[in-house]
Amino acid sequence: MAESRIVMPGEMLADRAERISYAYVDNGKTYSTVVGLYSEGKLVPLEGPYEPLPDDYIVGIVSEVKFSGYSVDVNCAYPAFLSSREIRERFEMGDAIFAKIIAINEMRDLELSDAKKLPAGALAKVSSVKIPRIIGKKNSMIDMVQSATGCQIFAGRNGYVWICGTGNASLAEEALRMIESQAHTHGLTDRVSVFLKGQKKA
Amino acid sequence: MGGPTENSPQLIVGGKRIDGRGMEDLRPIKIVARVLNDADGSAYIEWGKNKILAGVYGPSECIPRHDQSLYRAIVKCRYNMAPFSGAEEHGRSGPNRRSKELSKVMREAFENVIISENYPKTQIEIYVEILQSDGGTRCAALTAAAVALADAGIPMKDMLCAVAVCKIGGKMAVDPGKEEDNFGESDMPIAFSPRNGEIQLFQMDGLLTQDELQQGFALAKAASTKIRQMQVDAIRKVYEEPKSERFLLIK
Amino acid sequence: METMNEIKRDTLLALLNAGKRADNRGMLDYREISIQSAPLQNPDGSSLVSIGKSQVMAGVKFDIATPFADRPTEGVLSTSADLLPLASHLFETGPPSDEAIELARVVDRGIRSANTIDLKSFFLEEGKVLALYIDIFVLDHDGNLIDASALAAMSALLSCRMPKIEAGKIVRGEFSGKLPVGEKVVTCTFGKSGSKIFLDPALDEEKGMDCRLTLATTSKHICAGQKGGWGSLSEKDLMELSDISMRKGSELRSLLSD
Repeated sequence: MAESRIVMPGEMLADRAERISYAYVDNGKTYSTVVGLYSEGKLVPLEGPYEPLPDDYIVGIVSEVKFSGYSVDVNCAYPAFLSSREIRERFEMGDAIFAKIIAINEMRDLELSDAKKLPAGALAKVSSVKIPRIIGKKNSMIDMVQSATGCQIFAGRNGYVWICGTGNASLAEEALRMIESQAHTHGLTDRVSVFLKGQKKA
Repeated sequence: MGGPTENSPQLIVGGKRIDGRGMEDLRPIKIVARVLNDADGSAYIEWGKNKILAGVYGPSECIPRHDQSLYRAIVKCRYNMAPFSGAEEHGRSGPNRRSKELSKVMREAFENVIISENYPKTQIEIYVEILQSDGGTRCAALTAAAVALADAGIPMKDMLCAVAVCKIGGKMAVDPGKEEDNFGESDMPIAFSPRNGEIQLFQMDGLLTQDELQQGFALAKAASTKIRQMQVDAIRKVYEEPKSERFLLIK
Repeated sequence: METMNEIKRDTLLALLNAGKRADNRGMLDYREISIQSAPLQNPDGSSLVSIGKSQVMAGVKFDIATPFADRPTEGVLSTSADLLPLASHLFETGPPSDEAIELARVVDRGIRSANTIDLKSFFLEEGKVLALYIDIFVLDHDGNLIDASALAAMSALLSCRMPKIEAGKIVRGEFSGKLPVGEKVVTCTFGKSGSKIFLDPALDEEKGMDCRLTLATTSKHICAGQKGGWGSLSEKDLMELSDISMRKGSELRSLLSD
């Protein structure tokens, strides 16, 4: 199994032109554009803004109530809109919602649908590239944090994580920060498990 | 740069510079990435006695709207000195002509390498704050800002670094300190794209022959390789020694 | 945006009414505080303070100045604050905002009222006095910038050296002893939401709270006060908080080294 290595912006990945996400070709050679993990022709950024894709499930905060729908803050430079026609519920400003991106137009406006209001809770903002690690394979990581803290956690692909329920929200956030800063390392699941067990006894 | 006067100190004594450095030696440099909590990316640099903080936001909604471009992100850059940053009198808060010029040339250097077409209608903001100045702040500031941009995950063609060369005692030397900056015969800050050696920022004053220009350039290019390595080490440290907390530690 | 704050207010109120704070702190607990003394060499004194994730730097520098016409034998003390754009996306570039000006003036008021600095000792000769500039540089905003700034300013003053003066001019880089500092002043800032009061509001709490009260104290006196925000305080609140400020103030003071 090939080892992955940390690469820098401007670092050469291949001596020939290759199509690699987050990389560019110049003079027949391929270079990275970001700080990332590179291995076997695949480059994964270690940091970066949320890049929305259709079918992403996100956590958003309703920022404006309009006649035809809602403007939603989704931690993105581009506006997200939820049309009233797409949902049966009514939302208010400040409501947290879990929704799906159904379309992105040429102006980069995001269209949301499938939205449900989330119960009272708190918002944690996490680097969006780390969300897959926070969720874990088949939800393994997020399930572990939920059961250890007694909280319900909704992790949006956009980096917004909603923590609710009557559990220890503060501990849940600490666990998220730990996963966020070590997302690129091996053995993280075990370390998080040890951390959570230790905190429970305290 | 003021240039030598009658009362100028001797800048070369016994073949060495006043702080004992050789002509090709950089002052001590230390770079730490990811030191601020709110900014999307940040870096702190100590270069000689310079202490400089860089913070980056973006891409985010371009405000005001009328500044936005439909084709790319707008890059904004502000170089600012703290009133207590100089060794002499207490300075004023806020921009002056010099800091506005530096903000502009820095912005242009980064506009060249940031892949702004990826984020139309947005803005990317770069802020550098000079907490303590000791000659060569613009090069140190640019070097730190490049690390902050990488820390934020803003896609770039390359991570820039900058270094200045000077002419003292008739010879070209790298990285002028404060006195060399003030009393040297020429000052030339250059920012490089280390990948291909291309020049992204270039300023110069004083008097140089074409030979001296070439020598100075070679010195700067060689120094830039060392500086680039320090930037890379600072970024690697974020991932090799991960911390859950971000803070600035100066002592 | 006004209405957004209202929504956060409900969340905050709900938490507080259950006796909790978002980060599991007690109502009268400060976040972790760290003080770095004299991190810079160029200013005559400096400090870098963090309260939780808020980080504030203060620099103190002497200059020669002409005294104010109505106080010809006194030195000048001037405090300024910069809310740097890299500290928060809420801060814009440009001239000092109302928030920055208020911050500087509140910090200044405490130090001035307590006579921490003996301005009379700054008299040099007719028409010439020493001016002491305190500059607050807010580097990272996560709430309660007032307490962090006041602590940074006080710590910078404690680290400050007296410049050497020759023939009516400051000889930079040479010093004669330390700046004599009288009473050590600290501030305690409280947030109020509904009827609940809490110390050291973090940014999330600031966004939802009704109002804020800052009290500056020395070991014996209350020397400055400032209420901010729209809500109101009762007389009982004020008396209680003055009591708590004296207590908590001495805890903060113990963190300051001489």
